[in-house]
Amino acid sequence: MNSHDVPRLIVVTGKGGVGKTSLALAITKQLHESGVKVLYNSFDQITNEKLSDQMELPYWEMSTAKSAETYIAKKLGSEMVAGWIMKTPFFKSLFNMIPGLGMMILLGHIIEKLQNDPDLHIVMDSPSSGHAITMFESSHNFKEMFGKGMIVDDINRMHQFIYNEKRLKSIVVTLPTLMAVNEGIELRKSLNDLEITDVSLIVNDAIHLAEELVGQEEELPDFLSKKVAMEKEVVSEFEGEFAKILPHLSTSNEVENIKGLTKHLEGLW
Amino acid sequence: MVVNPKPIEIFCGTGGVGKTTLATSRALELASQNKKVLLITIDPAKRLKQILGLENTEAGEVQTISSNIFPGYEQNEFSFDALLMSPRATLRRMKWEAGTEREFENPIIDILARPNGGMNEIMAIIEVQHHLGKQNYDTIVLDTPPGKHFIDFLQASLKIKQFFDKSFIEIFKFLGKKFQRSSEKEGTGFLAMIVSSGVKKLLKYLQKVTGEEFVETFVDAVVAIYKNRDSFLEALKFQDRLRQIENSNWFLVTSVEQHKIDEANTLHSHAVEFMHGDSYLCINKCLRSHLEDWNPSNSQYLHVRNSMLDRENKIKEFASRNFEKVIDFPEVLGTSPAQHVSELAEAWKMS
Repeated sequence: MNSHDVPRLIVVTGKGGVGKTSLALAITKQLHESGVKVLYNSFDQITNEKLSDQMELPYWEMSTAKSAETYIAKKLGSEMVAGWIMKTPFFKSLFNMIPGLGMMILLGHIIEKLQNDPDLHIVMDSPSSGHAITMFESSHNFKEMFGKGMIVDDINRMHQFIYNEKRLKSIVVTLPTLMAVNEGIELRKSLNDLEITDVSLIVNDAIHLAEELVGQEEELPDFLSKKVAMEKEVVSEFEGEFAKILPHLSTSNEVENIKGLTKHLEGLW
Repeated sequence: MVVNPKPIEIFCGTGGVGKTTLATSRALELASQNKKVLLITIDPAKRLKQILGLENTEAGEVQTISSNIFPGYEQNEFSFDALLMSPRATLRRMKWEAGTEREFENPIIDILARPNGGMNEIMAIIEVQHHLGKQNYDTIVLDTPPGKHFIDFLQASLKIKQFFDKSFIEIFKFLGKKFQRSSEKEGTGFLAMIVSSGVKKLLKYLQKVTGEEFVETFVDAVVAIYKNRDSFLEALKFQDRLRQIENSNWFLVTSVEQHKIDEANTLHSHAVEFMHGDSYLCINKCLRSHLEDWNPSNSQYLHVRNSMLDRENKIKEFASRNFEKVIDFPEVLGTSPAQHVSELAEAWKMS
């Protein structure tokens, strides 16, 4: 794998419960094992930090609060003042009331980290659907709000990175059901509306591709053949929309699941 | 197990577990018992609009949903109300009620109240409390955002409380005077208080990075919010009701479809301080009955069957450790969302 073909920032999103975390970790594992310099980031969400540890995958985490404090310190040239500002109840509650601000600054930090190290790649386990849109939309909103000044200059630098082809790729994870695919396509459209153009749809957990079930002669029970038929229908209806269709993996162990997914990611980059 | 209806029924869970569909089925089931029901969703995925055939343009307004869109409920037509949360619509109502249209003509507030502007959770709490206060419904069924955003939702009233903390009242007064261009002279004691509270210093720092113009708009925005504090503070009552057994039913929804156990566990541990002990765990998309009837001779099939059963067993184990009341919902095999709602509504009857 040539690391120049791999996007610098890979944003894994989709509606909740489609397996974003598993896929983000699987991608990290795939890149890491191919010798690409890569870090996993959970975007300050409740996730299983144990997992990246357990799998010995390189990760980098920063909370939105820490991210904001660091940013303010840099802008005002004083860590002490930044610490004081973050502690004032007024700013603290304001910061909490407007989550988009924290998201924007954290995204800014991730991009800065990438700009400082031209070999680095980051796989971001992004917030789900609407909140992913908030994450990307916030910089536009705040740019409009602030009008001009230092923050706007920083936002412009951020946009230069985001809107440069081949640097950012978004992956929308979905499931092989009609409703999930429709939601995935809706999310892709919302991202496109924000001029984020490199968006791939990946279907996860397709039972009709489960290796244990493919090519067997014994008849499937009714509920499974129904599921298989429904999945095939959805896949053929949306033919050509998907960058990958990942099989259902017969394991109830999360680490095994991620390892299994890694084997099915070839050809993505 | 019969689940007695309460004034608030709150559905929470990790994403993709069928929360919205399940909440809708509960609304349908309660409405079929002649209850007056309002279903509210604040899930930004807006899945409800697909299920109910509502267009995005109608977000923010209460819609009446006829039972005849659900298969099996075409006879003896009845209805329930549904509302897709829209921060902008909530804001519109608030400023109309408080007579603060002029103050709310503010670019910052306007941008933040966009559908993805990030104020969804706080606006949602205000909207829910508004409908509870009107007492038009026997039950309000509430579908919440997935995962961490559900915790944000629960903490929203805490954030409101912090924002309107007593120590700020004077600061708002100060900002308010500035806003009204009042000629009243500030006493030295008052000024000292402002300086010690740090707001002036804070604004000076803000000005340094954003410019003067923004700071003025910002102060105006804070004043506008302050003038609507009654709506915000009223919303705090919602939190209290959620803690009262007689006022709320909690449904933590999980599914056996993905590897959900750890997520459900994490969410439960974060939500538990907001809940009361009388809560239900809903396990959605159960395949157990199908799996137990399946006796494949092929070892590959057996492996698939066993791994699926194993997932269900792990969820069950978690369930029995943390919840006294567990309700199973079967996986619905059908492509129509309305069909899903109908079949789950049947499952409520049997539970």
